[in-house]
Amino acid sequence: MGKLTIGCFSSLVGSMSLDFAVKLASAAIEKGHKVDFWVSGNGTMLSIKAQRAFKDYSFLEKSVKELMSKGMQITACEACAEARGYHKDETMEGFKRHSMDWYLASIFDADRVLHIGGE
Amino acid sequence: MKLAVFVSDFRNTVDTLDRLKAEKLGIIFVQNGVYHAAVKEKGKASPVLNAPADFYVLSDDLDTRGLGNADLADKVKIISYSDIVDLIFNEYEKTAWL
Amino acid sequence: MATTKLGFIVQRAGYKSENPKLAITHAISSQSVEIYLNDGDLVTADIAFVGDGVLNCIKNQKAMEKYGLSSTESHIKNSLLLDLNVMVCKEDLARFVLTEKDIVIDAAEFGAEMTAKVVPFSEITKMMEEMKHLLFF
Repeated sequence: MGKLTIGCFSSLVGSMSLDFAVKLASAAIEKGHKVDFWVSGNGTMLSIKAQRAFKDYSFLEKSVKELMSKGMQITACEACAEARGYHKDETMEGFKRHSMDWYLASIFDADRVLHIGGE
Repeated sequence: MKLAVFVSDFRNTVDTLDRLKAEKLGIIFVQNGVYHAAVKEKGKASPVLNAPADFYVLSDDLDTRGLGNADLADKVKIISYSDIVDLIFNEYEKTAWL
Repeated sequence: MATTKLGFIVQRAGYKSENPKLAITHAISSQSVEIYLNDGDLVTADIAFVGDGVLNCIKNQKAMEKYGLSSTESHIKNSLLLDLNVMVCKEDLARFVLTEKDIVIDAAEFGAEMTAKVVPFSEITKMMEEMKHLLFF
């Protein structure tokens, strides 16, 4: 089994790229792969806790929590989050915050990388 | 290199895609990229389908847009998320998201 | 000891999209990643501007003066100061009737020895082949 590092820079609401990335992460974990997940730029919106589920907007908090419980490491760019007013006390439990070098460190020993740029 | 390219848009990605060269090229249509696999603009198939590549389209994203088997170009294979995982781990070495 | 080579490919114009700036700042973070790695392990980053992405390289950007934001130009100069390999696609510059004189080529004022290279797309393809992973922005 291998390690997949996914980076996603798209916002939670508006493009569905994060929906794609989370579903792909889930499929990879189901197959026994290790998955690291990095969000940066508008993607840091994913890290906020207590997202409210509406049927007109993507809602991924539940899926992310399930994936974390299955071993997925997920980290948000701290500067990108702070710039948007997403503070540590509003971050989902288990969702880490680090500087950009965390992403590159994860890529260092990844077998595969899928980098999804933002809008 | 063995490169899997995710085409996620219907517009604006052809320029980069045209110039990517790979010993083995796979094009995976996802999100609005699925229109390349299923829509014939002015009666013509997408020029992306002329690339020297193996073509795949994500089933979930076809279904989401009301498209199905009947709309699909013959050379495109319908795949699942699970298939994408196998493709990127077993068939290709690098990925690019356009 | 191992080295993982990453290729950052910038294909969009800047400012309206955050992507180009994030590409450069993430590439620059290759210089501080060692804190997470074992001694001797490295991550290297090459940056290539292609397509509309070459427009990020036009010099004399005034983002700081007009919006109080660091310019993409300043980020490119920081990349050169940190000795990152910066490539700009020759054919795409020509498409916009731009020459080396119009773009950020060096950061001599900061003491950078590295310069950006204007190269044909075939050279960028070669770079992509040499990298372990590609990140398209």
